[in-house]
Amino acid sequence: MTIKEVKIKIDDKEVTVPSNWTVIKACHENGIEVPHYCYHPDLSIAGNCRICMVGVKGAPRPVVACAQPITENMEVTTKGKDIEEARKSVMEFMLINHPLDCPECDQAGECRLQDYSYDYGRDHGRFHEEKVVKSKATMGPHVKYWGSRCIVCTRCVRFTDEVSGTGDLGVIYRGDRSEIALFPGKTMDNPLSMNTVDICPVGALVSSDFLYQTRVWNLKSADSMCSDCAVGCNTRVDFDAKGTIKRIVPRRNDKVNKEWMCDYGRLSFPYAQENRLMKPLVDGRDAPYKDARKAALELLAKKSVVILVSAWNTNEAFAAVKEFAEMHLPGAGIAGYANPGRADEKFPGFTISGDKNPNRKGMQEILGIDAEVSLKELAADTARIGTLVMVHNIPGYAMTPELKAVLDRTESVILLDHAKSDLLKYGNVAVALPTLTTFEKAGTFVNKDGIAQVFQPAMEPANFGRSEAEMFQDFARELSAAAAVTGAVAKVKG
Amino acid sequence: MSDAAKPNPAGSGDVPPAKKADESAAQKAAGSPQPAPAGTPATAAPAPAPEPKPKVPFSPVLLKHINEPNSHTLAHYAARGGYETARGHVGVTPPGDLIKLIDDSGLRGRGGAGFPTGKKWSFLAKGTGKPIYLAVNGDESEPGTFKDRYILERDPHQLVEGVILTCYAIGSKHAFIYLRGEFILGFQRLEAAVQEAKAKGYVGKKIFGQEVDLTITVVRGAGAYICGEETGMLSSIEGGRGYPKIKPPFPAVSGLFGSPTIVNNVETISAVTHIVKNGVAWHKQWGTEKSPGFKIFCLSGAVKKPGVYEVPLGITMREMIDTYGGGMKDGRTLKAVIPGGLSAPVLTPEMVDKCTLDYESLAALGSMLGSGGITVLDQQVDMISAIYNTMRFYHHDSCGQCTPCREGTGWLEKVAHRFHHNEGHQGDVELLGDIAKNMRGRTICVLADAAAMPMQSYLQHFKQDFVAKVKETAFVEKQRTYRDEITPTAKTITATGAGPSALDVGSNGSKQR
Repeated sequence: MTIKEVKIKIDDKEVTVPSNWTVIKACHENGIEVPHYCYHPDLSIAGNCRICMVGVKGAPRPVVACAQPITENMEVTTKGKDIEEARKSVMEFMLINHPLDCPECDQAGECRLQDYSYDYGRDHGRFHEEKVVKSKATMGPHVKYWGSRCIVCTRCVRFTDEVSGTGDLGVIYRGDRSEIALFPGKTMDNPLSMNTVDICPVGALVSSDFLYQTRVWNLKSADSMCSDCAVGCNTRVDFDAKGTIKRIVPRRNDKVNKEWMCDYGRLSFPYAQENRLMKPLVDGRDAPYKDARKAALELLAKKSVVILVSAWNTNEAFAAVKEFAEMHLPGAGIAGYANPGRADEKFPGFTISGDKNPNRKGMQEILGIDAEVSLKELAADTARIGTLVMVHNIPGYAMTPELKAVLDRTESVILLDHAKSDLLKYGNVAVALPTLTTFEKAGTFVNKDGIAQVFQPAMEPANFGRSEAEMFQDFARELSAAAAVTGAVAKVKG
Repeated sequence: MSDAAKPNPAGSGDVPPAKKADESAAQKAAGSPQPAPAGTPATAAPAPAPEPKPKVPFSPVLLKHINEPNSHTLAHYAARGGYETARGHVGVTPPGDLIKLIDDSGLRGRGGAGFPTGKKWSFLAKGTGKPIYLAVNGDESEPGTFKDRYILERDPHQLVEGVILTCYAIGSKHAFIYLRGEFILGFQRLEAAVQEAKAKGYVGKKIFGQEVDLTITVVRGAGAYICGEETGMLSSIEGGRGYPKIKPPFPAVSGLFGSPTIVNNVETISAVTHIVKNGVAWHKQWGTEKSPGFKIFCLSGAVKKPGVYEVPLGITMREMIDTYGGGMKDGRTLKAVIPGGLSAPVLTPEMVDKCTLDYESLAALGSMLGSGGITVLDQQVDMISAIYNTMRFYHHDSCGQCTPCREGTGWLEKVAHRFHHNEGHQGDVELLGDIAKNMRGRTICVLADAAAMPMQSYLQHFKQDFVAKVKETAFVEKQRTYRDEITPTAKTITATGAGPSALDVGSNGSKQR
């Protein structure tokens, strides 16, 4: 079937949409609200919640917008008495067996049942019978299931069938006893499992990690980006009143991550708030910035300086390093290194990159070096290194033999890092300068597909750190000032 | 467009009944010069009153041999000319001619919806590059229906021959026959029949020596009513949970494994054998203008001789009960008749007198012919008990996919259960009607309608039975009384007839918050 642009009318508004869309998509893309539970743009159509009913001219009764293909000159109405009545009746059916446990439900505050109750709910119930009680279950290490809250929209089932491909979940029993369950012998321990929590429109699937942590209306949110791998999922970071990160959820970006994200990335945030390098260190002791910078500049004045940058840094940091070296350290070498990779984890609808570095591509583009090759070359070299400027920023880095070889023949190291990592235990770290995590700084990462994505700080820095780019600008400023002074002295003397 | 808005190419959701809209669409599609039966059920006389055709004597066709010993074997079938029709047509007659023949014969789907079979076949998507499948629906689970069972157990070869002819006509190389899981004997005999036919070269590669291949797979269900819904059955054959699929696309466009599929009932396919054998004129000598031919009816309830009766369409309901069924059991009087399986709206005695057994007469009475399962209720039957039992069935067998059906069937059963135990409250009768109304036409398949239609018809025709079981209290009042008891300081609320909403209770009554 060829796809063409067709004209349709939605609530007297003329719009042009591709002929392969459904009515609900046409409405949503044109900013017209159509309530829905089971419909998800990235999953197959189930058409079972029945709340997305709209009127179509010529149809004897309301139809479900999610399963209704677009036809030429279609006239759709999303408002009206019969549509309202149909939606209200569906809401009533949804709620008759739903427990009134909003006060203790994790979903409260971001629950579709609550949201649509405002629009289509009744002020009192007509159901005086005993409610159906369903089972509770632990689906996997990160996901719990509250059966009674479930509206059996089967989004989670379709997710495990179509996106994660693990097929963990299915519907068991019939009628109003229907509930979601694991297939025998299965556990939902795939690294995409927590997406089912996001797509669950009610409080049936909840995250074990976020459970009872806070009420969602107490959270503040900021947009951010995941730096856990080379995919670069767009995220929303939720903080509690104290500014502590409580959870990370994916943010829609159809070119990068759609609306999915892996569990590694979601649960990666503790590094931002634990074991941070709070202040500069000089020879292992806290020191003011002024002293630390002075000590660093003295080390940089030595012979044979090498700047070693990790693939966890931003394009801005790479550019600053490059510029700084060109202007102030003409003889210095620049090398790169990266978090050791592993195999990609491929799922039918999502790939978790095995490259656990957010910006390998950016390093290639700006510094023109490949992280692995460059570190190998540096490790193979036997010449002694006077000062090694190490721009690290990799959380949970495990020392590789190559890096160890480099460090072993280095006199002193200037370490730029956000954490008190194992690297500090190496005796030759002379100066350590605190930097910022991805959550705290702005910058650009280029993901594995070559898409450059800019991110902004999501939170206030937890330490007294600065971004790497700013550090190098500081160095440059001091060196220029010093050069200006020496220049003036020489002039006077001359 | 909903499935009722345009002629439903595969509308005979075999066991759950068709919507009325399907019927009217089908009638329109048939393009008959006769006006469709108009008017309300209360005023309209049954359509086929002026019967132009002379009464032709009829002897059973599909059930002719069921009481003969070994009627299920190939030897018996061959002795009465079995498979000669298929041999004469497969690879010889152009398939289009067979489709036209069935279309001309006016055969309508016997599973419940009554959609014209030839029309359905002609809706088949062509040139898709995908295989075409035939799926025969033998998941006979509509309560009160037991006709396919006799064909499967006692004369399965006519079905196999029908499958051969149908597959040849529609160009299918693979047919699935889906049987109700409980039909053990039917499964054994059908499977044996298929094997016998295979051994003779009627099924398999190059059947009847022609360049035509056919595989027949017999599939057994696992005991779900919903798998008798045509797309639910397809899901079940595919190995999935028996969830009905959204229409459109209809099975004739995208059905089994995403391929064009024709779904027909066992009785329909069996009838194809005889129509191809004897011709259009033979078939049309019985029945009415819009319901030609004959059909098996399953008579049960308070009649002297319950059983399966194959009769020409268009005979009166009275004739069915009094002549074939031998009249009411001694000392019983007719109270109601469920004409087409449990989901068909119930008929009162006055309606029974007006009723003839054809698709259009029952549609005019606001009911339907459905699967032909006629249940006769006598005055001893408590209608509340009957509706409770009906609701219990649909609650048990709703697949649970769509919200209105999943929740509504359970709700209806629970309220009906209270009525059954004389616990109806003020407003409950209206509530039942409201729930049923909210369930109708809002789901993927027609099971919600199947549950709502009997409830609506019982409420319409036997409202007094419900009202008799209603207590004087309403639920809201009862709660208020209870609240007043536990909070003696609260001002007593005098309940008015209309009753303020529950929200008022908090602000008006107790100080508790």
